[in-house]
Amino acid sequence: MNGSIIRYILGQVIRLESILMLMPGLVSLIYRESDGYYFLVVAFCGFLLGSLICRKKPQNTVFYLKEGCIVTALSWIVMSCLGCLPFYLSGAIPHIFDALFETISGFTTTGATILNDVEALSHCMLFWRSLTHWIGGMGVLVFLLAIIPMSGGSNINLMRAESPGPSVGKLVPKIRTTARMLYVIYFGLTLVEMIALIVAGMPVFDAVNIALATAGTGGFGVLNSSLADYSIAVQWIVTVFMILFGVNFNAYYLLIFGQIKKAFSIEEVRVYFLIILSSTILIAINIFDTTKGIFDAITQSAFQVASLISSTGFSTVDFDTWPTISKTILVMLMFVGACAGSTGGGIKVSRFLLVLKTVRKELSSYIHPKSVKKIQIDDKPVEHEVIRSVNVYFITFLVVFCLSLFLISFENHDLVTNFTAVATTINNMGPGLAMVGPSQNFSFFTDFSKLVLMFDMLAGRLELFPMLMLFHPTLWKQALHLDKKF
Amino acid sequence: MSHANRSAKGLRIIIVGCGKVGSTLIERLDKEGHEITIIDQQPDKIAEITNLYDIMGIVGNGASYNVQKEAGIDDADLIIAVTGSDELNLLCCTIGRRAGQCAAIARVRTPEYSNEIGYLREKLGLAMIINPELEAAKEAARVLSLPTALEISTFAHGQAEMIKIKIPEDNILHNMSIADLGRKITNNILICAVERDGEFTIPSGDFVIHGGDIISFVGTRRQGRNFLKKIGFQTKQVRNTLIVGGGKAAYYLSDQLIKSGINVKIIETDRARCEQLSILLPDAVIINGDGTNRDLLKEEGIEETDSFVPLTGIDEENIMLTLHAKQVSKANAKVITKINRINFTDVINQLDLGSVIYPKYIASEAIIAYVRARQAASEESNIETIFHLFNGRAEAIEFHISECSSITNIPLKELKLEKNLLIAFIARKGSILIPTGLDTLQPGDNVMVVTTHVGFRDIHDILDE
Repeated sequence: MNGSIIRYILGQVIRLESILMLMPGLVSLIYRESDGYYFLVVAFCGFLLGSLICRKKPQNTVFYLKEGCIVTALSWIVMSCLGCLPFYLSGAIPHIFDALFETISGFTTTGATILNDVEALSHCMLFWRSLTHWIGGMGVLVFLLAIIPMSGGSNINLMRAESPGPSVGKLVPKIRTTARMLYVIYFGLTLVEMIALIVAGMPVFDAVNIALATAGTGGFGVLNSSLADYSIAVQWIVTVFMILFGVNFNAYYLLIFGQIKKAFSIEEVRVYFLIILSSTILIAINIFDTTKGIFDAITQSAFQVASLISSTGFSTVDFDTWPTISKTILVMLMFVGACAGSTGGGIKVSRFLLVLKTVRKELSSYIHPKSVKKIQIDDKPVEHEVIRSVNVYFITFLVVFCLSLFLISFENHDLVTNFTAVATTINNMGPGLAMVGPSQNFSFFTDFSKLVLMFDMLAGRLELFPMLMLFHPTLWKQALHLDKKF
Repeated sequence: MSHANRSAKGLRIIIVGCGKVGSTLIERLDKEGHEITIIDQQPDKIAEITNLYDIMGIVGNGASYNVQKEAGIDDADLIIAVTGSDELNLLCCTIGRRAGQCAAIARVRTPEYSNEIGYLREKLGLAMIINPELEAAKEAARVLSLPTALEISTFAHGQAEMIKIKIPEDNILHNMSIADLGRKITNNILICAVERDGEFTIPSGDFVIHGGDIISFVGTRRQGRNFLKKIGFQTKQVRNTLIVGGGKAAYYLSDQLIKSGINVKIIETDRARCEQLSILLPDAVIINGDGTNRDLLKEEGIEETDSFVPLTGIDEENIMLTLHAKQVSKANAKVITKINRINFTDVINQLDLGSVIYPKYIASEAIIAYVRARQAASEESNIETIFHLFNGRAEAIEFHISECSSITNIPLKELKLEKNLLIAFIARKGSILIPTGLDTLQPGDNVMVVTTHVGFRDIHDILDE
């Protein structure tokens, strides 16, 4: 195993995060808040530490999927540990586990909070929460790939480990250009949303934060009421952008380069829109009686559907009070998640598409046992390897889910609370139902349960395997053996 | 590597076919910073190569317009078709030319087409047609015409040759410095590279040659042979050759050898192919039999033959046959080994096989020369040929200087040249000049530069900046 490259990339990640921490420091200057001091101190120490770690450039820059997964998992853990320090040191979140939970929830774009009163936080703390969403949305290693020249083809393994979706490809031959394009699209869309929100009459600070949180499909708001107190126009803008950030970014790339027809023919994106449309209509009908009319019903239903399928987790109403049909649909949407190659969480539409096609193939093989049929997506045959990995993903997902559910059940809360708490963290959603509903938070869990949920968030964001790899005994043996060479 | 980054923007290159030549090209072009997209029918090959290099892979038929479009033919600079099939390569290039505004390079190997290369190239509008088998055969033929050499490559349209030889322990050059060589033996050749114990040196005047060194020198054809005679090497060409395997390379080689009056005997297992060969090469002796059979080889005179060239399709077999021939030969036969696939060059170098020919390198060199020339910004100079030395760790590059520039008309000793760089010769008005510090570069010259800096595109790269 190539230990030195892992060390080097970790160092770079720490450095990058330290530089990004200067931004909330800047915010504190604008609002003249003394909390910003903590960001500057942590950023300074982090930068020093990162520079020290990656002072020696590795000789061998070739690494494989194994190293890619490990470095990704470790990066996210290290990043979260560093990111929670300002919360903890400043006393904004006095308990270290809570601070870590909040930061992981931020980076993994979950948006589940342990804070009872969000509005009590200072501006720079709120901004850092939103910024973690934005960084985590597209991925910090992809960002690293975009800005730091690293030669060799091995880097695709970093992107594979960090980017969501069953098969990760490039837009253009050079990985650096690909990463840059992704970030340009990401940044552009965020900026457009920010401007739209400001034009719609939102205060600038709120607009910046909400735009960052929407972009990463995170879900941290700046008000205790999430988005309920904003105007209808703002709610619709956020609805549209939540849906847009859940679309496969390849579609935007195609759109930019004028291949409009091709962009709209991506099967996954079409199914994604179909699901949104049908769920919105169903829920709107279902909640019609409790609302102020047809437009209000559609506004509420569209916002919640967009929020849950893109795994953002904003809310305009307490959907915990909705009828069971609507709640069930929302929980199902949570699992479906956004498109592969987006910033959203969940299992991903493309995986469901593949599995449904596999089931259909299995069924037809009962009717015609000798029939031969290759599964196709976008009129292209899908490799057996991809289908196998998707099947394994489902099973692994189920195992991790059940295990987590079991582990937090010791606290003796009701099943809906536990079930949705695990579902909402592993799918990087945010709020669940009952005790973790939109108007509640996660602070009542014990530290152990929080640890389990934190793991779920990271596992869900990195698509399980990079995190599970850390538990593989062979790797530990190799790593410990190699430690002598460090 | 510093030079590879000199020009910021790489070319957009589409390569169709991920075989031996395809992967060699990817390896070298990726190193030089181009944006490469590879098209191949086999997904596993694509998966393997895209894991190794920073390139994009597309699974599909490279001759399909839609696949080419997906690979970005619209704004590609160059399409290179190196699949196993000549016809597919030509089709890929033809479609690529029509679909985009790019240049096209095709590999065409079949002898039937090889006589029509010029016609095909012109009519289909291709930038280049490469035939690695033919080039490999040419190189083998050159070595057989001067069997004491390990390698011979030609520059300046055949006027100059670079010859690689191994100095025996008891040679007069043993313990002689390069400066002494110039004074005592000849001034008409220039030693431009020495390999010793796995190390590569571009020697200066005080470098002392030892027995066992492998030296490469440049000079005209005649001067090179005179020099070899003076230091006690044989310069006669071989009289006869035994070739095992009757593929395309064997045909091309035999054709060349017969034209220069060497007797050729080919052993081929396939009866039908033997008959074909006997029609194509009426002057060669064609034996139908298994060339890896010891008794057959003995019967056909492996012990007495002047030279032996195993050209079977399997590298391991070729190496085995070479070692066997070296062992049993009573006439100290010249043996040439062709390596297609194996990339354990370190192991091969230790085996003391003598002359080794790599068709995949020969093919990729021509393409890389073309790509670098395309990329060079200035119009004052142009790359004519590139030849890799010592497994690609050094290069011999021939530039054509077409216009006056900051580098012309200045005595060489006043130019501030890069370290580890040597101007080996200047070809001017049909004669070859071994330069001294007082010589100058002139417009119209062809200049050969030997350097360990990889990636020169322009004659100005030789300056230390």
